[in-house]
Amino acid sequence: MKRLPLEGVRIVDLSMMWAGPYATHLLGEMGAEVIKIEAPRAWDNVRTLFPISGPEPWNASFYFNDYNREKKGLTLDLTQPRGRELLLALVAKSDAVIENYRADVLDKLGLGFEVLRRARPDIILVSMAGFGKTGADRELVGFGPIVEQMAGLASLTGYGDDGIPYKTGISYGDPVGGTAAAGALVLALIQRRRTGQGACIDLAQRETMAQMLPEAFAAASLRGEEPVHRGNRHPVWAPQGVYPCEGKEQWLALSVRSDAEWRALCDVIGANGLVGLSLVERRARHDELDARIAAWSALQDGAAAQAALQARMIPAARMLDSDSIHWDAHLLARDFWDFMPHPRMQPNAQPAPAWRLVEANPRPRRPAPLFGEHNREILCGLLGVPEGELAELAAAGVIGDALIGAGVG
Amino acid sequence: MTNVPEAGDAGRVLPLDGMRVLEIGGGVPAAFATRWLTGYGADVVRSEGPADALDRDEEIALLTGKRRIGVPDAQLRALALAADLVVEDGKPGALAARGLDPLALRAQKPALVITSLTAFGQTGPHASCEATNLVAHAAGGILSLTGVRRRPPLANGANQALKLLGLHGFAASLTAYFGALVSGEGDWIDLSAQECAAGLLEFHGPRSAVDGLPAPRLGNRTTAIWGIYRCLDGFAGVCSLQRQARALLEGIGDPELLAPRFLDPMERMKDDKELGRRVESFFAGKTKAELLALGLRQQVPFGAVLTPRELLESDSLSERGFFDEVATPDGVARVPGRPVLGLEWKSGALAAPAADTDAVLCDWLGGAA
Repeated sequence: MKRLPLEGVRIVDLSMMWAGPYATHLLGEMGAEVIKIEAPRAWDNVRTLFPISGPEPWNASFYFNDYNREKKGLTLDLTQPRGRELLLALVAKSDAVIENYRADVLDKLGLGFEVLRRARPDIILVSMAGFGKTGADRELVGFGPIVEQMAGLASLTGYGDDGIPYKTGISYGDPVGGTAAAGALVLALIQRRRTGQGACIDLAQRETMAQMLPEAFAAASLRGEEPVHRGNRHPVWAPQGVYPCEGKEQWLALSVRSDAEWRALCDVIGANGLVGLSLVERRARHDELDARIAAWSALQDGAAAQAALQARMIPAARMLDSDSIHWDAHLLARDFWDFMPHPRMQPNAQPAPAWRLVEANPRPRRPAPLFGEHNREILCGLLGVPEGELAELAAAGVIGDALIGAGVG
Repeated sequence: MTNVPEAGDAGRVLPLDGMRVLEIGGGVPAAFATRWLTGYGADVVRSEGPADALDRDEEIALLTGKRRIGVPDAQLRALALAADLVVEDGKPGALAARGLDPLALRAQKPALVITSLTAFGQTGPHASCEATNLVAHAAGGILSLTGVRRRPPLANGANQALKLLGLHGFAASLTAYFGALVSGEGDWIDLSAQECAAGLLEFHGPRSAVDGLPAPRLGNRTTAIWGIYRCLDGFAGVCSLQRQARALLEGIGDPELLAPRFLDPMERMKDDKELGRRVESFFAGKTKAELLALGLRQQVPFGAVLTPRELLESDSLSERGFFDEVATPDGVARVPGRPVLGLEWKSGALAAPAADTDAVLCDWLGGAA
């Protein structure tokens, strides 16, 4: 079997919630050994974000499991000297550390870059605070939706008739920051391979989010353009929109990019009287055309409508929701959903690696770690801690396999 | 493999100095995937696609620093074999039809990484489907969660399905390139916009996988303490976890909000609408700046809906040197530059289409050109 590109790379993962864990999830899928650090009193909040019944709810979160696959779990209380000591021993045997604490937290823990570098001179540190480690906004606290607002994307999103900006329905800043962080970490690995030097990377999630709308900055700086809310319409083509289909909350997305596509659409929806409309006319009569398309689509099954339009080379897709996406024939044919066994949960459909390396063919390999699952393996096996010390560490709360003070939220 | 580091501008060594990247354009995905590579030192050469593949603002934002060529397919194939990475976003099979079959290129040059960016991937019943940003967005699931329930789902701005595909293209390509440096073996990466998004449905995805219920669109208000509200000078938001809820409610300054029914996370859900009205009323009397200051004071995530123009004036972004300047015939544009601090970055100029054909053929193919 062909090796995965990051085999042999070890990453200490201090990150929590979604942005950092998504980065290390991607890196783990590519073969890196990711060691996720939590503490009995400071666990990844995603474990307990929603109420879950059972004796160990923190080990049975489907949400946590989705984004923490391909990782090992180690508990270390970094506020205690022995916890920090063990972390630095681990750093000495690792290639990179990643964290998404608030900007000041790592230094306050006594684990800033210079400290890490004393443990491993060529260490790579990726810090991914919401607003970065420097600058006037560095102390602001940010999650994905905040980042989206503060980076300009929300200002560009809206229906256009109510003046209201909208956020994405997910915490979009997190996976954007996480994907960029994964790339930045690999960039530093490439640089280190060539120069022998480590790196201290300061990734501001607000900035990686702003990178997702670079053309809007060009427009604003050159012409002073303010955001235009277009709903689902295209700035040039017409018509384009999201139209209702038969059934509850069933929708069809459709774009017409040319006169030829327009003629084909008229034929499909039985609007032959409109076939001669030019692009200028279609733009001017967009409301009317939307109503005409919707009158047709509302009587159609979404998948059948998609097939009928695609048969005429018209870009169209049934909108998939958070349930139907698990039953999409195309994704199933591509073996995208995986049912990885988990020791505390029934298997559920989880996404396989989106980075399809055709030859290496990465597939899900391990479920998310139970809390402290790999304490013995890492502490004794990798760091040489005597077996007999584990009980002392547990008694002192440096390590543990259960949360202290667990609640919901 | 062209992995010999060479000094970049002013003797600085950039992370990707010496790396050769061929972008076979191409629309937004391929252009976005390679944009940061050029800033970090790679020699990115763009073979132009259709004239309308990018609009003028996208060209300024995504092509800066790249060399631009126009060559026949035979020369393009030779350039692909001289590259370390090829990034393309044509339809499945389009590259092979031009004599650049990825598997054949890989067989001839095992260290080569080829990244193919499409809406639906290289295989499967929808692989050959026509797609736009909106269509790919609908297939990826995020569209279903954005907007309000009484209205159609809403695409977010600036072609996010295409950008997200490009962003994954950047990170996946570099990862495979690193693997090639280590082992001498590249790979062919098949990235689809649908799959890049389908795994990003936050808790909605796994929850629906468990309970079989589609998540509704919640507009700007997931809960009372996780949403966007109108304020005195625009819109602002708050995203509070339970651990920040007390600080948030204290910051609002209404003693009634410190009752257990608002502090307890399970009780609070029962009175979420009432709490939402109170938070809404509080925001309505504050400015963005006042709310951001409150967030800082209470250590609660508050945000303001800012426009690109406002961000161009941001002291914080200016202090961090976030924007690059690009000379254009219409003036100097300011666009996002380096994505992170801590790695050397070079800004670049915007070349005209095909302006660099002769130089690239000479540099990459030498006598073979």
